[in-house]
Amino acid sequence: MRTIGRTGKTMIRALVAGAWLFAASSAAAQTRLKVVTSTTDLLYIAEQVGGNRIEGKHISEGYQDPHFVEAKPSFVLDLRRADVWAFVGLDLEIGWMSLLLNGARNPKIKPGAPGYVDVSKAIPVIDVPSGAVDRSQGDVHPLGNPHYWLDPDNGKRIARLFRDRFAELDPAGAGAYEKNLGAFEATLDRAAAEWAGARAALRGKPIVAWHTSWRYFAEYTGVDIVGFMEPKPGVPPSPSHLAGLIMTMKRRGAKVIIMEPYYDRKTADFVATKAGATVLVLPPSVGGAKGIDDYGGMIRHNILALAKAVE
Amino acid sequence: MTMRVRLSWAASTVVFGMAIATPGLAQQDTTKRVRDSLAADSAALVRELARASARPAGGAGPTNARLLPDVSAVGDLLADFSRNGSTLEGGHRFSVREVEVAIQAAVDPYFRGEVFLGFNDEEGAAVEQAFIVTSSLPLGLEARGGRFLMPFGKQNLTHRHDLHTIDYPWVLQRFLGAEGLKGTGVSVSKVLAPFGFYQELQLTAVDQFGEADEALETEEPVNKRLGNLGYAARFRNYVDLTKHANIEVSASVVTGKRAQPTAGLVVGNAIPVRQSLVGIDVTYRWRPLQQGLYRSFILQGELIRQFNEDIADPGYQGPVGNHTGGYLFGRYQLTRRGYLGARYDWLDDPDLGGERLRAGSGYLEFFPSEFSKLLLGFERVAPTGGPAYGRILFQATFALGPHKPHPF
Repeated sequence: MRTIGRTGKTMIRALVAGAWLFAASSAAAQTRLKVVTSTTDLLYIAEQVGGNRIEGKHISEGYQDPHFVEAKPSFVLDLRRADVWAFVGLDLEIGWMSLLLNGARNPKIKPGAPGYVDVSKAIPVIDVPSGAVDRSQGDVHPLGNPHYWLDPDNGKRIARLFRDRFAELDPAGAGAYEKNLGAFEATLDRAAAEWAGARAALRGKPIVAWHTSWRYFAEYTGVDIVGFMEPKPGVPPSPSHLAGLIMTMKRRGAKVIIMEPYYDRKTADFVATKAGATVLVLPPSVGGAKGIDDYGGMIRHNILALAKAVE
Repeated sequence: MTMRVRLSWAASTVVFGMAIATPGLAQQDTTKRVRDSLAADSAALVRELARASARPAGGAGPTNARLLPDVSAVGDLLADFSRNGSTLEGGHRFSVREVEVAIQAAVDPYFRGEVFLGFNDEEGAAVEQAFIVTSSLPLGLEARGGRFLMPFGKQNLTHRHDLHTIDYPWVLQRFLGAEGLKGTGVSVSKVLAPFGFYQELQLTAVDQFGEADEALETEEPVNKRLGNLGYAARFRNYVDLTKHANIEVSASVVTGKRAQPTAGLVVGNAIPVRQSLVGIDVTYRWRPLQQGLYRSFILQGELIRQFNEDIADPGYQGPVGNHTGGYLFGRYQLTRRGYLGARYDWLDDPDLGGERLRAGSGYLEFFPSEFSKLLLGFERVAPTGGPAYGRILFQATFALGPHKPHPF
């Protein structure tokens, strides 16, 4: 009978160790929560809280209008395997979300399931219309303004919601999520201290925005939005409205027009020229401009750039 | 309405010009009042937003406490300005082609229900679609039962008022029906991704293939034998080429027996005859994500071949032989709300004994908002052996009710 030599034993041990490591890593991979978010901001915050216990994807890009996303079948494949579907809510995704969720046929992320995360539930929403609402008022959001992530205090609220929901779905990771949340909030607090001066300089400064998406940003910075390029939310500007807006800008001393990268800059440039103002294209989300790859960085960039522009 | 819009634009432009380009005129009282009024526009919106109350964190109560279904209505209005008389059904110059009322809601934790009722001057009221859907099935299956648009081809799955042309392509009108192919039965679908891209297989069985002609009577019901029912299969393949472009290539087949007119029968005036359709459709879409509000392009084509059973009966008057048809459609987005489209159709028309029919059409489409559409179309139709004719059509559609997602 042949015996196994020292080399053979070493090889067997190595193989067993390798198999054990492979099995352990596979198990870890299998237990990672699969998180799909509607926007890049939600994904960034989810990853900060979830750390290596989650793997994530997002649907819309940071430089894309999140109201108008095509419900591509490839997104259905992402959602089919998801444990968590986190979305902005307040009807931001009303034009495409139900098609994707119905197509995904995934009970884990259906309304009412733990994996169905309407992030707006954690937010003190502004611009909730009072009285009757109809479409003569434009692309109005009856549940309130959905662009809340542009206020960093809401960024913290989003992170806390993720901590709670991830811990519910993955109780073993509760400690890690709590720790990650603390680190994220500390990072955001440090960044806020850096931009505090610029934020203070913005208080009361008159500006014009293209869409109502900058209302939360204005609430946080104190900047005074005296007019919008859109006559009503979602309605492209008409010549008569722009004429009125130019008068408003001159009267109120607004010297800056802020806009998202997906709107037509030529129109804003025209108004700026007539009103003696400048146009500032700001990233509305993570990934909304080159080099804007993190949430705090996006807020910092917007505050500093606007403070410089209104000087 | 168009004229009013045009006048409004003209007036706005004049006012704008007065306010900006000719400061001298701006001194006049009237102009000043207009300017003040315009300036108030934007500030009014700001004040309106400021007045709006803030909702506390944690959300408000339920948004639909009475569990009412979503109810919406779509109006489809047509006008025909063709030189040699109207080409619309009933010969009308102005027509309410259809008003569609949709009622949609979750039935219970297992089913979703959708009902579409159609109303028009020619046919009165009809149940266009009424079905329940469930995805609470093993293996990721989805099943639906009731009346629905048959999953055959690409455009047949789009409601007529949602098309970017005024009518379905000629090949669909002739092979499937003027209002598309619907069926009453059951359908099961499964999403697959063995190669990393989206694939979907849909299998359908319906009471009968196509709409029954009430004037035709067969000795026995066409659906007496299970083999005579309508059966369809569709296999979709969707691939993202880049973040901005994608392509879908799908194949469809439908077969079943239909009542066809036959003279000299002892009982009735029709016999069940098998008809089958095989089709392939390709759709290429381009929409740059950042400029997606202003630029997009779609190129779409379908090719369908119709097979008819050979009938030796000398009294048979139904379609014979095999016929092929197809179309190519393209649409380019010019502005945020304006699109330019064109379609080329050809088919061996079974209604013309298999003679070739060609048609070319162009469309100018304008969306005042997501909920209204104005479409101006010109079409030149050239049937072989017959005189060519032109059509000038105008369509206005509007949607009332909840925002419904646009099918991809």
